[in-house]
Amino acid sequence: MNLDDFGMDTITLAGPLEAKLRATREAGFTQIMLNATDIVGHPGGESAAVAAVRSSGLRVTGFQVLRDFEGLSGHLHAYKVDVAKAMLEMCRDLGSRVLLICSSASGHATGEFDALVRDLQKLAMLAVPLDIRVAYEALSWGRHVNLYTQAWDLVQAADRSNLGLALDSYHLLAHASGLEPLEDMSAGRIFLVQLSDFLWQEVRSPEERIETARHSRVFPGEGVHSENVIELVRKLDAMGYRGDYSFEVFNDDYKQLPLPVVAQRARQSVKWITGRVARRSLPARRQA
Amino acid sequence: MSAKEPLPEPSNPLGIDGLEFVEYATSQPQQFGALLQKMGFAAVARHRSREVMLYRQGAMNLIVNAHQATSALPVVSAFALRVRDAAFAHRHSLDLGAWDMPTRASAMELNIPGIHGVAETLVYFVDRYADFSIYDVDFVPLAGTEARPPAIAGLHWFGIVQSILGDRTADWLDFYQNLFGFSVLPTGQYFGVLPKGTLLESPCHKFYLQLLEPPPGAEDIRWDEGLVRVGLGAADVPAAVKALQKRGVVFVDRGTVQPSEKGALTQPYLGGVTFELVHSSMGT
Repeated sequence: MNLDDFGMDTITLAGPLEAKLRATREAGFTQIMLNATDIVGHPGGESAAVAAVRSSGLRVTGFQVLRDFEGLSGHLHAYKVDVAKAMLEMCRDLGSRVLLICSSASGHATGEFDALVRDLQKLAMLAVPLDIRVAYEALSWGRHVNLYTQAWDLVQAADRSNLGLALDSYHLLAHASGLEPLEDMSAGRIFLVQLSDFLWQEVRSPEERIETARHSRVFPGEGVHSENVIELVRKLDAMGYRGDYSFEVFNDDYKQLPLPVVAQRARQSVKWITGRVARRSLPARRQA
Repeated sequence: MSAKEPLPEPSNPLGIDGLEFVEYATSQPQQFGALLQKMGFAAVARHRSREVMLYRQGAMNLIVNAHQATSALPVVSAFALRVRDAAFAHRHSLDLGAWDMPTRASAMELNIPGIHGVAETLVYFVDRYADFSIYDVDFVPLAGTEARPPAIAGLHWFGIVQSILGDRTADWLDFYQNLFGFSVLPTGQYFGVLPKGTLLESPCHKFYLQLLEPPPGAEDIRWDEGLVRVGLGAADVPAAVKALQKRGVVFVDRGTVQPSEKGALTQPYLGGVTFELVHSSMGT
């Protein structure tokens, strides 16, 4: 495990897309997670944003985020399918092979298992011709799906090769979800792992979870749950996960700090994680 | 969790009943037409308003579309599935997550529904193939030609070869299995002289799709996704090879792909078009 396995996320950084790409690259990272707003909000338009990404030399970890997709019906479903198609096309244009979708928080969405499976299958089918993998994440305030085990059950039932799980350490920590269920999951079906920590011991209500998730996350090694983050990475590493780790750190303070300062904190976090995970995997010293 | 009884899906939900036509796109239709004639196809009709020709051989319909074509190299740009109800097949496919085709891309005046296939290709759905033909509306027969020219050595559609990127076999299996009800043949069950990739059989058992990932060690060659070749079935491959050789078709005669009872492969024409012959009794 080394720096190449980790990526920045544009949501952590302030400023225009080009500055984010530059700061990420100059900090030594080789990949970056992109947000749709980076692309459509670019002053030069989408094509300029795509060109900036493609000429940055950075690999695109993934593209986010499709929200409130599954469980809708009628015109709401048709509307969201149109949104999904446009996002898939942007994802392809950026050279991203992963589209992140988070579980629906919509009050209009059903929780009926078969309907959710059907919608995820549909999204996966839409993604096939574009060579995109769909990574489904349980948002800790999702209306019907808010635990990663629930997201996994849906991914399993949908049974599509380009549909997998996205794990976000924040949502696991926020729910104090145990890691034992990971043992029954296949590493090959985990398409993305997002890492972050936060500064409070507990976030009990959905409102607290949302507030913390959107404003007060920190890099692993900076919060109070960082040992749990390390435990997660060790577990994933041991079960054979060799995919990307992306720092999804929403933090209002970081949004008002110079980009190189934030990128350096991310670098330190990589060092902190790899040092601790690698130490564990060193062979035990032989007794003299 | 629903308590529904897990009944199996019908194995042929769209009522697929073979290939209605295969469409090629090329900006040099005459040159390609000459090659098709060597291969035993005859031009039988011209499109009413566009630069599109219909070729036939036995039960095979082949459309050459030069309308807005940009590449001289003829490429397989679409295939049409015979289905029980084209509107239903179209709706069903969209419900499952297929991309609707852009109407401007259609070679037909008739509203033939279709969806996106691999890369820029389309998959059409045709339900009028028994008593009424879609070509009767869009095409004008060529004077002095036989409307139904016989097939050389019983040639018939056998299948279509699709190139795919590495590690994409499972994705495309999902596509063809779930949208159309294709099934995968067991590993090792191949036809012809190019036993590679993954073979899928249509739910009507009338034709095949072959998925080809880049061969190992091919990192340096350009390998895009697309429809790369059609396979023509022949009950007696050597007889078909002989008949086509007489018409001037050259087959690769070296290595593992040299003509045999199992199959044969033509040399590349016009910068890359090949036709494959495969032993098959389906047309008999």
